[in-house]
Order: sequence, then structure tokens, then C-alpha cells
Amino acid sequence: MPASAPASERESEREVTITRVFDAPARLLFEAYSKPEHIKRWFGPVGWPVTLCEMDFRVGGKFRFAMTGPSGRQNTPFGGTYREIIPDRKIVYDNGFETKGAGRMLVTVSFDEHGGHTTITIHTVFESVAMRNSHVSRGFEQGTNSGLDQLGELAAAMAAQEAKSA
Amino acid sequence: MADGAISHSLDRVFAALSDPTRRAILARLAEGEATVSELVEPFGFSQPTISKHLKVLEGAGLVARGRSAQFRPVRLNAVPLAAAAGWLGNYEQFWAESLDRLDDYVKVMQQKEKRNARKRTGK
Repeated sequence: MPASAPASERESEREVTITRVFDAPARLLFEAYSKPEHIKRWFGPVGWPVTLCEMDFRVGGKFRFAMTGPSGRQNTPFGGTYREIIPDRKIVYDNGFETKGAGRMLVTVSFDEHGGHTTITIHTVFESVAMRNSHVSRGFEQGTNSGLDQLGELAAAMAAQEAKSA
Repeated sequence: MADGAISHSLDRVFAALSDPTRRAILARLAEGEATVSELVEPFGFSQPTISKHLKVLEGAGLVARGRSAQFRPVRLNAVPLAAAAGWLGNYEQFWAESLDRLDDYVKVMQQKEKRNARKRTGK
């Protein structure tokens, strides 16, 4: 959590903000966030369905999700605690992977409805600048100075190798 | 092995991939397993240097060592990489794709609500 970040690392260097406008009422978008049967229908990238979805949607309640990728194996679960819930307005939770040493993040999701449109703002504060950079493309590229294409080719080579040996 | 591979730390995977020599080692292993001495030749590094890189890759679950005491061939393990690729880049990408799906799904919710409203208001 922010409290454990190095003192020299300002929050502004550890955060990412994502926004999207929906042609739908906040009420429905909040609903989509608040129940597992909805979460399973939209959460996560295409091809990475949520295959573990436990959630106790109340302040202090915990959630635990995992996704299964194209390899068919379930990825490491992640989850945390709901810190604040204001119906149709705001959800605050902490989150992180269930792996030793994996960092935590604090996520605030805001729903702002105006004239039938709702803006969702996802504000994430990572535990450290390093964690932010390992999760955010721009930072990752700068940090590794490598170009993700090379890694994409490598992943393809590895997938081919795995298919051959399977 | 599968459990260990899945419970890898993404941070370790990304850290392991951040070094060009280690990426080159993985690319070489993608063609097939190799002994340490077979890895030393093409890279022009000393054996201890290669071993150090292998230790990092092994710690990230990206490679596994064989049991044969004499050669202990190194094999790549693509599972953590596949997991990392799903996140690569990608917190923003993750949300971009999720929110695309939410946009579609909330329309389904709206349709359902309309249908239910019609049912309630009568025949």
C-alpha cells in the first residue's frame, strides 16, 4: 500500500489513470462491478476468461480472481479487500497477485453520470515506481530498453517449442 | 513442476526478461535444450556469468535443469512467459480490453432490463 512505498517515491510517479465514457447509467455499470455473474462476463482481456471469481462485495469483504489464458492453465490468483463502496458512485479496493514479494496496488473506480452517459475512472496507485513500470507499457519499454516486438517473437518461438514437445 | 511454474512471481519474470543476454539465452533454448557449456560458446561469456544468468532465469521459473549430474541440460519453460505475456505491457491494455467488453456487456444488461420492464407493465 502507499504507506509502504519508499518515502522518495511520490504518488504521482506510482499512479496510472484510465477513463472511459459509457452510454449507460452508472447504476448498471456499478451493478456489473458488484456481482460475480457479471464480472465473469466482462473482466479481463479477450482470451483470458475469469475462471476463479470469489467476491464478498461489502466494505472489508475480500475478492479473489484468477484468469485462464490460451495455454489452458489458470494464472496466479490475485485479489484483495474492498475498502470503500458508495453505491453507483465509487469502489475502492486493494489488489495484488498471490505470489511472494508481489507488490500491492490501491484501485479507486469512480462512476460519474451526466446526461445519460457515465464516465468510469480507474485510478491505480502502485506500491512502488518499479511496480508501476513493470505493469505499464511505457514504463516497461523505458525500463528494459528492449522493444516488446523482440519479446513477442520470443514468446511465439517458445509457444511453438511447447507445442512441438506436447 | 506445474504448480511451481504457476506460482512464479511476475515481477521475477519481468526482471529476468529485462536483460538482453538472458533473452538471448531463452531464444537459444527455444530451439531446444542445451548444456551450460553449449550456452557459453555462442555468447562469449564465462561459465560463471552464464550460470548467474541461468540462476535468475531458473528463479523466475523460465528454465528448468535436468537431473543428469554430469550435464544437467537446461530447458526452457514457457508457462511463466505465457502468463507474463498476458500482462505484458499491459495494465492499460488489460483495462482497455476489459472496458471494451464492459461496454458490450452493459448493453446486454440494458436490453435485459427493458425486456423485464415490458414484462412487468403487462401483456
